[in-house]
Amino acid sequence: MLTYTDFLLAMPLFSLTVTVLLIIATEAARVGRARFSQFLAITGLLVTSLLAGLNLRESGVAFQGMIATDAASSYLTILLSLAGIVTALVARPYFEHRDAHRGEFYILLLFAIIGMVLMASANDLITLFLGIELMSFCLYVLAGFERTKDKQNESALKYFLLGAFASAFLLYGIALIYGSVGSTNLDAIARAYAGISNQPLFLLGTAMLIVGLGFKVAAVPFHMWAPDVYEGAPTVVTGFMATAGKSAAFAALAIVMIRTFDIGGSTTADVLALLAAASMVLGNVVAIAQTNLKRMLAYSSVAHAGYLLAGVAAGTAEGFAGVFLYLTAYTVTTLGAFAVIGWHERTNDEGTSLDDYVGLSQHQPVIAAVMALYMFSLTGIPPFAGFIGKYYVFMAAVRADLTWLAIVGVLTSAVSAFYYLRVIVMMYFRERDGEHIPLPRIPVMIALGITAALVIVVGVLPSTVLQLFMPAM
Amino acid sequence: MDLYTISFYMFAVLLLGSAIVVVFSRNIVRAAFALMITLLSIAAFYVLMMADFVGIVQLLLYVGGILVLILFGVMLTNRQISVDIREGAIQTIPAVIVTSTIGGILAGAIWSTAWPMREAARSVAATAPVIGEMFLTTYLLPFEVASVLLLVALVGAALIARRERKS
Repeated sequence: MLTYTDFLLAMPLFSLTVTVLLIIATEAARVGRARFSQFLAITGLLVTSLLAGLNLRESGVAFQGMIATDAASSYLTILLSLAGIVTALVARPYFEHRDAHRGEFYILLLFAIIGMVLMASANDLITLFLGIELMSFCLYVLAGFERTKDKQNESALKYFLLGAFASAFLLYGIALIYGSVGSTNLDAIARAYAGISNQPLFLLGTAMLIVGLGFKVAAVPFHMWAPDVYEGAPTVVTGFMATAGKSAAFAALAIVMIRTFDIGGSTTADVLALLAAASMVLGNVVAIAQTNLKRMLAYSSVAHAGYLLAGVAAGTAEGFAGVFLYLTAYTVTTLGAFAVIGWHERTNDEGTSLDDYVGLSQHQPVIAAVMALYMFSLTGIPPFAGFIGKYYVFMAAVRADLTWLAIVGVLTSAVSAFYYLRVIVMMYFRERDGEHIPLPRIPVMIALGITAALVIVVGVLPSTVLQLFMPAM
Repeated sequence: MDLYTISFYMFAVLLLGSAIVVVFSRNIVRAAFALMITLLSIAAFYVLMMADFVGIVQLLLYVGGILVLILFGVMLTNRQISVDIREGAIQTIPAVIVTSTIGGILAGAIWSTAWPMREAARSVAATAPVIGEMFLTTYLLPFEVASVLLLVALVGAALIARRERKS
């Protein structure tokens, strides 16, 4: 039977769904212009994060064990809503400038967030799969939002074809796990785990699950799509899928691998550790050779997937906390960086190359300073958020006897400093001869302000953030 | 061999044979029709497993819906019919290695697993009422999310396919 609590625990999902239906209705009736949809979307996301905030101290399963709400899932709902708000703020100036501002953007954005929230609060493999598909469908379309642009079509088509392929793996893995456990419920799988963790069928199912989710988080060797898709998609969409999409997929991975499977010290953990090391090395080394900033951040996101996988491979509560903290740091930093790139980009898709940033500090010192802040944070320089995230995941890896992985992580972070700091060098130590770009519009300024403030807050007060999603720690 | 076993192997051969035609046929219409036999054989498997509802859904959706859609797609892009759809395979050797490895691992896992065997049910109990009840009780949330997913597909398709709006 459904009770009042079921609806209370699923409140963020309902508020998102109501908002998106409202936007669809107003769009269909042509009541307002696209900016009215933007207003509705931001309001809905604010309400959602408020409701999720009220759920921070609640925990329980709802809808016959289909979803589980706890501090971690509520916290992630807030983070995803925040990513949505920042994306919605940046989207209007970006698309209006290109004469492609449409209300559908906000519909798909909110639908994607519904899928992500489902992933973060899934307590059943069926819910998890539906959440992933809901998110992916929206991202496929958003990647090709301006349909007359060839590059975006290429990006959307590549993402769609490879994504469908990965979903098939994921579904096959779920079927095999169901075959060996007899249930798709994560609680039931957790109870049966000790008895079946060495069955070939179950291991195969786990492997396919890792392939499917590994694709969504763009970990090596399932990262091939990321550079092309990130480069081709509209910059605001790239920012959204690189942060919110990755956060939701990693939350799902952490919930399945750490909470349900308890993989600490197992072969599965070793496999994840290898994938983590490969992602760190390949992502960081290839990023050095990139001259396009969007492409560089795509390879950097592969590397960050590696750092995050280190937290998952640790398989402990510490690793879980590390992953969530890292996701927070990565999300706020990367969203901001893409907001800057989106502002700097010209309508003909130019202006994203590294050379275009030469001497930016002379014309727009504030924006250059904020961009430098993001780059420092991505490198992992204290006291910014990126440092805290890396500190926690590497610490968890060391405590879980994966010291070699932490060493690889620190060394590759040092490599990453080269290409992140190169952006700063370009902005500050070269003479500008390019055209003058006006200050971003106020919504973009607000988005930059929010993300830059959070980069510092998370970096300075990590324990406060940790308290939000891990009350026990 | 009883009738059950005979029909199982018959449909198994039909399924694999038609699937091979789908993959290797150079004519897209022929491939589409071979796909129909593949999908029908899968429906037959569901029926053999006494999953009457899933069998009928397979028939309605895949054979009745998706296949017709594919054929319409082929007809509407009729210039493509005569075009050779296989432009030569690239990276044959890596593909063979990957697929045979995955296939081998799958087969190994299937062989080594002790499957819980059950006597084949000889009497048919309708499964639709049970499934219907499950949708509205245990699986209420996934059921609703699936409808949201369809709505997304609708919005996405409209966005991709509609005419350019004059602003």
